[in-house]
Amino acid sequence: MYLYLYDSFLNNKKFSNTLARIETRLTDLGIGGKICRISPLRNIKELILDEIRNGVKTVVVVGDDKTLNQIVNVVAKYDITVGLIPIGPDNRIAQTLGIPEGQKACDVLAARIIEKIDLGKINETYFLSGIQISSSQITIECENQYRIKPQQENSQIAIYNLRPIFATDLNYFNPKDGFLEVFIQPFTNGFLKIFKKDEERSIIPFKKLVVKSQKSISVITDGQKVLKTPVKIEVVPKKLKLIVGKSRMF
Amino acid sequence: MFKKEGGVDDVETIIGPSVQVEGDFVAAGDVIIEGMVSGTIKTEKNLKVGEGAKIFASVTAANALIAGEVQGNVKIKENLELTSTAKIFGDVKTKILTIVSGATLQGKCQAGEERKSKPEKISDSEKSKNKERVKEILDEIPGRVQ
Repeated sequence: MYLYLYDSFLNNKKFSNTLARIETRLTDLGIGGKICRISPLRNIKELILDEIRNGVKTVVVVGDDKTLNQIVNVVAKYDITVGLIPIGPDNRIAQTLGIPEGQKACDVLAARIIEKIDLGKINETYFLSGIQISSSQITIECENQYRIKPQQENSQIAIYNLRPIFATDLNYFNPKDGFLEVFIQPFTNGFLKIFKKDEERSIIPFKKLVVKSQKSISVITDGQKVLKTPVKIEVVPKKLKLIVGKSRMF
Repeated sequence: MFKKEGGVDDVETIIGPSVQVEGDFVAAGDVIIEGMVSGTIKTEKNLKVGEGAKIFASVTAANALIAGEVQGNVKIKENLELTSTAKIFGDVKTKILTIVSGATLQGKCQAGEERKSKPEKISDSEKSKNKERVKEILDEIPGRVQ
């Protein structure tokens, strides 16, 4: 049984045609189901839990990265398969998962290639793609064995589970390998940016780490949740069942 | 060892020049170090130490290509290659060692697995047997004047 969760931005009239085509295609493929619309007044957690109690086994998110990230924390705790129909410009996760936009995503859903992928966990919050650390003034303690200290004040520091779009050429960030990756790259300006960018980056796989800092620093998960240091980050292997496309990047 | 210079095809960990690592760094896959590491480094696969890298640690790996500075003992299971810019201040133990001219190596060096052969004593009976065998071989050579 399928539950389709429509994000609130899809209430905009410009999406009505797209939604109509998607609904027709889903019916044609015989995978139609209950449609629920997310709104700020509705508690997503309660909504999904009610439907799980009613026998829903597959939750399909219709929306963008933000919509998917919102439900990851709820469904991770249950034996539920998650699907995605990407609509809108902010759909980087869908690209990584090999899911085309709009109507074509229905065929991916019908094909039902299911991958059990790793999730990251920061304190008690799950995340799917990654987290961003807002300052370089930190110490990262990995596996209680070694410490990583960024040497340049102005660096991009992130922790990834899914492969980010800028790193399509890299053989890293596989959400099935049982590791998360620390990514550190100094910000370079001007012409040097083209040449120096790749030389200076650091990519370190890990299973568990703690981010510490002297002053409290913001850590932003992909679900837009902001936490303050110190934070404990770990990988939870094979935690989420996702319907993926053939052209997935892992 | 590594597919291409500076390539990342088989690499799992990169410690870049803008990062410092302290402690016991253990990796299961290939490692490229371009920054600073102090403590110990262990990998079951390949290690590449870049030209600008500084390592104040004992190093253990299956294969290694060193172009930077290592202050500590280096223990490599198979191949160790030191480029012209390599500087090693510590003992080295490996199976196969390649040193390009210009490299610095200050410390004990042990390469290869062969042991020293000891002089063997040959008994009188074996000596006479050997002499007879030589004689037989010489006799078999056609046209040989005795």
